Amino acid sequence: MDSRRIDDFQDMFDNAPCGYVTLLTNGRIARVNRKLLGWTGHTPDQMIGKPFSGFLNMAGRIYYETHIAPLLRMQGFFDGFAIDMVTAAGEHLQMIASATDGRDAGGKTLFTRIALIKAVDRRLYERGLLEARDTAAMGLARERENSELREQFIAVLGHDLRNPLASISAGARILGRDATTEKQHQILAMLETTVMRMAGLIDNVLDFARGRLGGGIILDRNANAPVERMLHQVIDELRLSSPGRQIEAEYAIDAPVNCDRIRIGQLVSNLVGNALSHGATNEPVRVRAVTEDGLFKLSVANGGEPIPEAAMEKLFEPFFRGEVRASRQGLGLGLHIASQIAKAHEGSLNVTSTVEETRFTFVMPLR
Amino acid sequence: MVFAHGFGCDQNMWRFVEPTFAGDFKTVLFDHVGAGGSDLKAYDRSKYATLAGYADDVVEIGRELGLKDAVFVGHSVSSMIGALAVQKAPGMFGKLVMVGPSARYIDDDNYVGGFSEQQIEELLQFLDSNHMGWSAQMAPAIMGNPDRPELGEELTNSFCRTDPEIAKAFARVTFKSDNRADLAKIDIPTLVLQCSEDVIASKEVGEFVHRGIPGSELIILEATGHCPNLSAPDEVIAAMKTFV
Repeated sequence: MDSRRIDDFQDMFDNAPCGYVTLLTNGRIARVNRKLLGWTGHTPDQMIGKPFSGFLNMAGRIYYETHIAPLLRMQGFFDGFAIDMVTAAGEHLQMIASATDGRDAGGKTLFTRIALIKAVDRRLYERGLLEARDTAAMGLARERENSELREQFIAVLGHDLRNPLASISAGARILGRDATTEKQHQILAMLETTVMRMAGLIDNVLDFARGRLGGGIILDRNANAPVERMLHQVIDELRLSSPGRQIEAEYAIDAPVNCDRIRIGQLVSNLVGNALSHGATNEPVRVRAVTEDGLFKLSVANGGEPIPEAAMEKLFEPFFRGEVRASRQGLGLGLHIASQIAKAHEGSLNVTSTVEETRFTFVMPLR
Repeated sequence: MVFAHGFGCDQNMWRFVEPTFAGDFKTVLFDHVGAGGSDLKAYDRSKYATLAGYADDVVEIGRELGLKDAVFVGHSVSSMIGALAVQKAPGMFGKLVMVGPSARYIDDDNYVGGFSEQQIEELLQFLDSNHMGWSAQMAPAIMGNPDRPELGEELTNSFCRTDPEIAKAFARVTFKSDNRADLAKIDIPTLVLQCSEDVIASKEVGEFVHRGIPGSELIILEATGHCPNLSAPDEVIAAMKTFV
């Protein structure tokens, strides 16, 4: 036995790079190769004549009986399954195995051959992948649940915040009918302004929360409704709430604009509100809305200090707040949401800022 | 004659037994929801968290077909599903055949089921390592076309394919079930077929089931393993013929 021959089948069987075992139809071991004996630490006497499943761990036994054995009877083979053997020392040996039935001409099973490959590292790696998958799935489920709760919370919050505002506004209007002195009118106008600003803030906060958690801003487009009337209305409201400030508006709209008017109104309101907060108080805010070259263009300009270079980059990011007097301090969501509304319309919102003027320009295709 | 498969496969389990009876009986084969060619969209986690959910399906099938005095043949866990169906719909089944039954798999104070709680947990983990011809890529094709299993045929193991998550849930409900109290309530002639060497349902477990069902008959098969319906169909058929 000194010289091993290349065509020695016994040697090939015993020293194959895998474990071999042949089972009788009753599941007992008829033959086992030396490699498998070496891996498991059993002697031939311990294995031959014994049920193969007795050398598997309990999970493997159940799996063998409920899956492998039936499949072998049905399709005659079962490729690439995982199975754990138990060594003589009681340790688990992770394997990957393939099995083939040997049948006679009539299709009757005579024996089953199983090839086993030691796959400790591979199985460990798979285990790790499975655990990572389970952890990710659990995390995702938890996140979904949280996000649903948050959505509900936001909806309820929005409702509860708007209701008291509506009462204040209605109350102020009723008082307005009997107001006689200049002082009273001033206080009531201030109340209206505050209510409007508050309502705008609530809209922005709710939009931001929804836009981030849900599928972005959903549009209700209508090409037939006039845009100009809506712009008039929004700008009139802003004039009312900013006494002493001048807002100039110029319209040249001669084509239908396929947009969500409420959203575009919100965009304008945010841009003009921004100009009023940051622009020079002694210069007008100039709004210009035109349709030209198949585009709807809307710009809002104001005078005053230009926007610092460093701030330009972050302008449209949420919670960005420029230097502004405390009473005008917002959440820093107005420009962010305006840019999101622009994006939802497949349009863009850009800014230029010089010592002459700061101008935000919204452009969207008319289509 | 209704044939119900157990955990691990589908109605293919009966392919060597059912044809023999198809002449004298109207035979009914089905896949439990979640197995074989069943509509996976019908799988309801809470309904199938107990064997009663599966028994309800059996009763539904029986009502749909207008079964009276039928023979229910259940393999493995479906033996107990049959035991529950018999109670739920008196008159629907006249005879019960249990192949490799166990009323409880996990050992209890004075009861030997053959498994410990921990071993069952290990099994559930281990099932993850064997995907049974199921892959995430193939799942949509298989799920969307339960009547066209050939779509998944390029996969190596084309029988007994199941969604791994459902397989795990079925394993859990199977191996954690306890139907010992239901045995005495079976009031129809019952045949228990027990293999001589079965690691899933040992002889003691089969005898326990036999003793628990009043007037039941026990036949010990020469066959070994847990699926005599595949490995020794002739013996199973012969035993069944003495009974039905």
